[in-house]
Amino acid sequence: VTRRLRPRTGLRLRLLAAFLLVTVLAVAGTAWSSARSATASLVAAAQQQLTDAVTVQVEALAPNVRYPPDQDALDRLRAAVGPGALVTYRNLRSADGAGAGLVTDAVRAAVRTRGRVAVQRVAAGGNPWLLIGTPLMITPPAGAPRPSGIEVYAVRDLSAVQMQIQKVVWSGVRTAGLAVLVAVLVSVVAASSVLRPLSGLRDHARRLAAGDLEARAEPRGADELAYLAVTFNQMAASLQASITTMQRMETDAKRFAADVAHELRTPLSTLTAVVEVLSLAAGDMEADVRESVQLAVTEVQRLVRLIEDLMEVSRFDAGTAELRLEDVDTSRAVQDCLHARGWADLVDFTASGSATSRLDRRRLDVIVANLVGNAVRHGRPPVGVHVEVTPESVRVEVTDDGPGVPERVLPHVFERFYKNDPARTRTPGSGLGLSIALANARLHGGDITAANRPGGGASFVLRLPQGREGS
Amino acid sequence: VRRLPVLAAALLVAALLVAGCGIQPSGVTEVGDAPPTGVAAGVTLYLVDDEHHLVPDQRETGQLGTTVEALALLLAVSDQPELHTEIRDTSVTRVFVQIVPGLITLRVPLTRSDMTATGVDQIVCTAIASVVQAGASRATKVNIQFTEAPAADQQSLRTCPVIK
Repeated sequence: VTRRLRPRTGLRLRLLAAFLLVTVLAVAGTAWSSARSATASLVAAAQQQLTDAVTVQVEALAPNVRYPPDQDALDRLRAAVGPGALVTYRNLRSADGAGAGLVTDAVRAAVRTRGRVAVQRVAAGGNPWLLIGTPLMITPPAGAPRPSGIEVYAVRDLSAVQMQIQKVVWSGVRTAGLAVLVAVLVSVVAASSVLRPLSGLRDHARRLAAGDLEARAEPRGADELAYLAVTFNQMAASLQASITTMQRMETDAKRFAADVAHELRTPLSTLTAVVEVLSLAAGDMEADVRESVQLAVTEVQRLVRLIEDLMEVSRFDAGTAELRLEDVDTSRAVQDCLHARGWADLVDFTASGSATSRLDRRRLDVIVANLVGNAVRHGRPPVGVHVEVTPESVRVEVTDDGPGVPERVLPHVFERFYKNDPARTRTPGSGLGLSIALANARLHGGDITAANRPGGGASFVLRLPQGREGS
Repeated sequence: VRRLPVLAAALLVAALLVAGCGIQPSGVTEVGDAPPTGVAAGVTLYLVDDEHHLVPDQRETGQLGTTVEALALLLAVSDQPELHTEIRDTSVTRVFVQIVPGLITLRVPLTRSDMTATGVDQIVCTAIASVVQAGASRATKVNIQFTEAPAADQQSLRTCPVIK
């Protein structure tokens, strides 16, 4: 089973995040700039109003202030300006408690040297304050105003303005929050509209991958996703067409091989009979004629074996091969096989365990005959056959002392008609033996492995599991 | 996992938003308004010299005071060497004064014949000087109403020839 990818959440999250990011940035930018300009104009208005109030108060009282002023005159002027005020004239000074201490040297310098009204915002005790400083002028009936030397400073609390600004900001934040919420809802809907067709397409692709060649998507609408669905359907259709063609061609090829083998059987049995008659009469023939007859006999026998092997392979391909399980004494069956083929003297036979097994006796015979025949033909004696029967499995190992199988060839030894050396085509085997042996082992649910022994020579190991009926 | 950077960005922006919107301390800025005025060492009265020219004469009263006070002083002034007044002496020195920006309305307790044309200018200039020193415009005009006078004089708006 292939690992299932995390469904949809990745893309949906990404879409959502992008939407959210854009919305938050846009809303925050707008809110920020509007809040800033609101703040600036609120502060400017408050500053203007407070400054005007101070100058109006001072100017209203000025004609009644003695000049040059004494301490009493300064005190009266300071009282008129209100709480948080400082009035100075040369060395005289009239201050009113806490606020007056906030007046900075910078403001005093600006008032003294420039002779203008000056303001400065400072923070003290966690509150914003506005410092207002102004010189009091003397205006002669004719001529320019000049500083009188009296300076008035007022300290005004801006907390009220601050709170007003915070109200504006918080209402902005609330609005922004609502906008983001709406954006989330919209993006969820938008993401679903994109992802629903995608997930449908994914389901169809999964059906196709699982082998359902009929799987088709239903394209809806006329967007890129619909186009994707159409393309998917084209792909599925062409895949289905080519797979069907390949299957038909393979079936045809297999049937052709089976038909050829079947058609050759009848003329071949006639040929066999003729050759046998010929070989009986061979004794009366000239030496060179007799040799030709012997050769014909051998080749006809080989042809018969090849046709039989081909028919066996056809049965496997057609799926008509059947297991006929019976209780078999495995080690006896193997020995019988060796005796029947006249290999008993060539082979070192050993066995361990002798319980009976549930096997197809004929097929076991075919497997052992092919493995041992292969070892006798290609390897060097002594050929060893070791049978090991346990309640779980049957293990038959066939070894020889030959040169072993070249590493290059090892992965292909079970392929049909595979020849190690293309030049050496005339071997006695049909080229199908190992392939038939493996097919028989697989029919039992078992396997054959080929390997080279560390000390030289090849080793073929057959393993058949026990305790299962058929396969 | 992908939500984190978005959340962080949102919080950062929100923090900037709130932080950037308080009232920030500032440097010293000058305001365009004219600074207040109005202190003076004394009242300026306008008298006449021997060549019939108007001359300002500051009385050391210690403060500028009101227009009413300035005119009362002018009506009560007595001749001095080289400076004299061309307004007839009167025991009633109380002048009714009404000031709106740009216009002073006076009701003097005298008739037009109680003073010369220069005497009228004395009253006009003293009144204008008192408001100009308190911060009013030099272009302020004066409307003098006499106890009895030709109708034309009653309505005229006067300016001071020596305050421009």
